[in-house]
Amino acid sequence: MVRLDYYFRETVTGLRRNGLVVFAAILTAFIALLLLGMALLIRREVDLIVANTTGRVEVVVYLADDIGPDQQDRLNGILSELSVVSQVDYESKEEAYERAKELFGPDSPIIANVGPETFPASFRVKLSEPEDYKVVVATVENEPGVDEVNAQQEFLDKLFALTSLFRNGVLVLAFAMLLASAILIANTVRMGLFARRREIGIMKLVGATNWRIRVPFLIEGVIEGVLGAALAIAILLAAMVIFIEPLHDSVTFVPWIETSDVLVIAPIMVLGGIAVSFIASLLAMRRFLDV
Amino acid sequence: MISLQHVTKIYKGQITALDDVTVDIDKGEFVFVVGPSGSGKSTMMRLLLKEEQVSGGAIFVAGKNLEKLTPWRVPYLRRNIGTVFQDFKLLQDKTVFENVSFALDVIGKQKSVIDQRVPEILDYVGLGDKLNNYPDELSGGEQQRVSIARACVNRPLVLLADEPTGNLDPQTSVDIMRLLDKVNRIGTTVVMATHDQAIVDAMRRRVIELEDGHVVRDQARGVYS
Repeated sequence: MVRLDYYFRETVTGLRRNGLVVFAAILTAFIALLLLGMALLIRREVDLIVANTTGRVEVVVYLADDIGPDQQDRLNGILSELSVVSQVDYESKEEAYERAKELFGPDSPIIANVGPETFPASFRVKLSEPEDYKVVVATVENEPGVDEVNAQQEFLDKLFALTSLFRNGVLVLAFAMLLASAILIANTVRMGLFARRREIGIMKLVGATNWRIRVPFLIEGVIEGVLGAALAIAILLAAMVIFIEPLHDSVTFVPWIETSDVLVIAPIMVLGGIAVSFIASLLAMRRFLDV
Repeated sequence: MISLQHVTKIYKGQITALDDVTVDIDKGEFVFVVGPSGSGKSTMMRLLLKEEQVSGGAIFVAGKNLEKLTPWRVPYLRRNIGTVFQDFKLLQDKTVFENVSFALDVIGKQKSVIDQRVPEILDYVGLGDKLNNYPDELSGGEQQRVSIARACVNRPLVLLADEPTGNLDPQTSVDIMRLLDKVNRIGTTVVMATHDQAIVDAMRRRVIELEDGHVVRDQARGVYS
């Protein structure tokens, strides 16, 4: 029968003995996991904003003035069959004129000097995958009857470049912090091993197996990681309630992540804390405990 | 019980600590290993515990070839070998009882076994009334008794003692030798490395003398030199 109380007692002894170092390890794990959590939340927020923005983005296929009804039907068919397209709307010259009037105001000199014939008819194409707007452009660009395709390309390219930079940047930062906390946890485990080297020497002499010696230190490391994660989750929840929730009402032009989103990423943070501290402890003990 | 066959140990490829040593020790024997510092006594002890690997030859302990012992089997070998050192190697923050029970605890013995055997062995070494004292409250001789109790509590086949009287005055040393003799009489094979001429001469047991890594003398009921 495995006596669990042995591992429990040894772990508690270890944690108590190196109080300050343990505290430092929990603190770094906490900071690293807080950054990881923030990175994950920022990603969710960026995703929300991108979805919100690009959901309204459409590719506009302007039609030549001399387009015939057959060509127009054919284009409509081509566009509708594309898998990235969710909806195709036809806008006639008159509708374009009405929209321009609304945009500039009925009394605007621009509107006063032109009629519906000035505005091109167009297909307004909504996309299910906004990143794939280039497919639409490439497909219809050179079709007969197409005058010009406007995909707001520059805007989209910049948006996607910026968001991917942002999303990956925070993640890289978080992983760098995880690495730093792994090194610190490894260090505390090492110091614990060093502080108890006499005891470990005797354990080896009387025939304790390596795992029997290692497990309490492993548990110690994992506890540090989990405590750091718990602290980070608590702080994130508090920050959401204090800083983000008031924004829901005052800043309404962008969608906001919810406080409950923290609970969605919490398991990732806890698992991250466990994984990092487990691996760190294992690496710290590798050389120290060879027979 | 212990058999060294043409054992050679070379450290870092140049320092020869043991050179072609062949020794057989039977079950229940009491053997002194003597010789000046650097003659190879400690190396022999370390090899028997498999703290070091032989460079040549073979060692058998309790019928097992140590060279063929996989690393994860080494702890099980050591459970058959008790060890006693000159500096006692007691844990200062544990009581006498805890120092001894620790040895059973870390090899996973049940609490009922511990509660029975620890007071029993401490009584046996004459410390039945000091279970709750800490090592720094004991004399050197008493501390060495604790370490002998720790070495014997798991009923090992072999007891290795490396200069067990090195830190003790002559009278206390005699008491410790009486205890080791007592342990030997219940069937434990005892191998003791020592510098202590008076003790070796008084005990008249088998003496193996090492010099520069060679066995220069192996004598039943021998004296120090």
